[in-house]
Amino acid sequence: MGSLVLSDVTRSFGAIAAVRGVSFDVAAGTTFGLLGPNGAGKTTTMRMILGILVPDRGTVSWDGAPITLRVRRRFGYLPEERGLYGKLHVREQIAYFGRLHGIAPPHDVRRADAWIERLGLEDDATRPCGELSKGNQQKVQIACAALHEPDLLVLDEPFSGLDPVNADVILAALRALQRAGTSLILSSHQMWQIEDLCQRFCIVAQGEVRAAGTLTELRSAWPTRVVEVEPSSAALRAVLDATPSAHALATDGRPTLAYELPVAADTAALLRRLVDAGDVTRFARIEPSLHDIYLRAIGSTA
Amino acid sequence: MSTLEVILNAEFARRVRSRAFIAGTAIGVITMLLFALLPGLIHRGVGNSARRVILIAPPALAQPAARLLRANFEVVEILPRLDQRPTSAFLDAHRQASAVVILARSPAGLHAVAYVRDPSQFRSAFARDLAPLQIALATGMPVTKIVDHVAVPVDVHDVAGRFADVGAADAAKGAAFVFIFLLYLAILLNAQAILTSVAEEKTSRIAEVLVAAVDPTQLLAAKILAVTATGFLQLGVWIATGVLVGNAYTAAFTAGDVGANAGPLAVSPAEILLFVAFFVVGFAQYGVLYAAAASLISRTEDIGSVAGPLVLPVAGAIVLAQFGLLFPNSPAIVACSFIPLVAPFVMFTRIAVSPVPDWQLALSLTINVAVACGLALLAGRVYRVGLLLYGRPPTLRQIVATLRS
Repeated sequence: MGSLVLSDVTRSFGAIAAVRGVSFDVAAGTTFGLLGPNGAGKTTTMRMILGILVPDRGTVSWDGAPITLRVRRRFGYLPEERGLYGKLHVREQIAYFGRLHGIAPPHDVRRADAWIERLGLEDDATRPCGELSKGNQQKVQIACAALHEPDLLVLDEPFSGLDPVNADVILAALRALQRAGTSLILSSHQMWQIEDLCQRFCIVAQGEVRAAGTLTELRSAWPTRVVEVEPSSAALRAVLDATPSAHALATDGRPTLAYELPVAADTAALLRRLVDAGDVTRFARIEPSLHDIYLRAIGSTA
Repeated sequence: MSTLEVILNAEFARRVRSRAFIAGTAIGVITMLLFALLPGLIHRGVGNSARRVILIAPPALAQPAARLLRANFEVVEILPRLDQRPTSAFLDAHRQASAVVILARSPAGLHAVAYVRDPSQFRSAFARDLAPLQIALATGMPVTKIVDHVAVPVDVHDVAGRFADVGAADAAKGAAFVFIFLLYLAILLNAQAILTSVAEEKTSRIAEVLVAAVDPTQLLAAKILAVTATGFLQLGVWIATGVLVGNAYTAAFTAGDVGANAGPLAVSPAEILLFVAFFVVGFAQYGVLYAAAASLISRTEDIGSVAGPLVLPVAGAIVLAQFGLLFPNSPAIVACSFIPLVAPFVMFTRIAVSPVPDWQLALSLTINVAVACGLALLAGRVYRVGLLLYGRPPTLRQIVATLRS
């Protein structure tokens, strides 16, 4: 297993700078979330990692060396727009992509059958891929990308368009790959799914890195915290209103008081003041979610 | 197993099982059957009636004339006179005859008046066949004696000693025509298959997954090889059909029909090798062009817009090859037999019907192999770039700029 390093990677298409000076690294066996809105440069970055595109500037390296075709054959790729041979049967399709990545017969078919079983595609094994539902096609595509037990698996929006059941099946497959030591890079708009899956994140917008690190690191860089207090009594509200730099937040009709405080605020002292002022049935210091961090990083409201 | 082999095997299997291949092969087989059987059947059905004539002549002329006409005509009836101008119904009533020929003697000699169904089909051999009778009437010599003296035996030999007789030369021309047609059909069907396959992989984004693991040039090469192998398989089926049907036809029908004039087809192993070489080169040249063109389109609906212009050189080559059959050593045809995309057709025509100097063969092969390699390199770059171009088809300027970058 190796580690991936992107250093100051830049790529333009004509006058449009799709990726500008992006740098990050993915340690061996870890899962890395690449987040950003549409057009942020995620797919271009992934294509440069896979050698499909060549950076105009900067380097992409694996284990400290440039990525060659031999190295790339140990990678797997699930593009955002799915591509399968519509007339090829499921088993043949998966085995073929395995052979392309160096899995010789008969192991290609054996492994294909194992993936078919893992993804619950037994009834479709001999059906042409073009006849499958979108969810099942997605499963086949995952199997095609992962059959050769890649060192690095790059997944562009692996959960897009999937129902919760199929999303869970694919999530389970990705967790199995994690356990097997495969490094994963994935992009997704479903923050809740990748928040648990990824150890590190990189948020990009307009081709630039806006934030990067573990969730803890991203949270520690967040300037405020939210405290929620119940019940929503006048006495408790008065204490919160009197707290320096505290801003009340809308609670959408919930019987809760929600306030945003600076990250350095002494919440223990605040709790003591609240208890002194009246009955407190609930006090919670809410950490920012990945969704909040993402929205703030890309310049939208959190 | 190398990546090239993996793709080659998969592409070959996919193509051979495709409806397009099965339908294309069937079309070729039907075409071969038509080539082998149709001319003979047409000739047997139509050709004989075209030779049937009704002779109107006084008895003194009718018998010797009928004997002379037997060489090229079938005299279905002899009548001493005709009361009215003949009509089509009259011809129909006399075994579907094609002409009524009225023969009379005048002070100037024999005079014939013919009423025919189709003047363009009326054979000029009629006057030649009756010439001995004209001489007999003028000189008083017996017709049989004149016939013996007029007939001059002519043996035709080609200076290169290549063909045993005129029939063998005719057979070579026929074979060249059929092979050219097969090459045309193979290129048209299989290059179209490359076009569809590349366009499908690109539009379905399979290409993106493939080029992440495979060198695009290798991918392109494997596709071309697979299509060439498929083309050979198809060609083999067509040729086998042609040979089997041709032999069966020859065995079933005797002389007097079309094909009876054609001698045995003598094709040397060297000529077969040369045909294979030019077939492969021609296939490769067109294959890489079609693949590169296909990589530039984003929708399968656009296939026609790139396929159309690429058919033009094939059509041009077919026309030139027809001239090659007639004038294999004319300077223009010799020059065309070196020009890439055209040479595979024209050179094979020349090889089939006339001796071609070794240096010309070597030069043509060298030029065309070099151009095929150059086209492959260029097409590889276009393919590499084109596979990831989506949206509107790029302009020529954009393609050139991308290739330079």
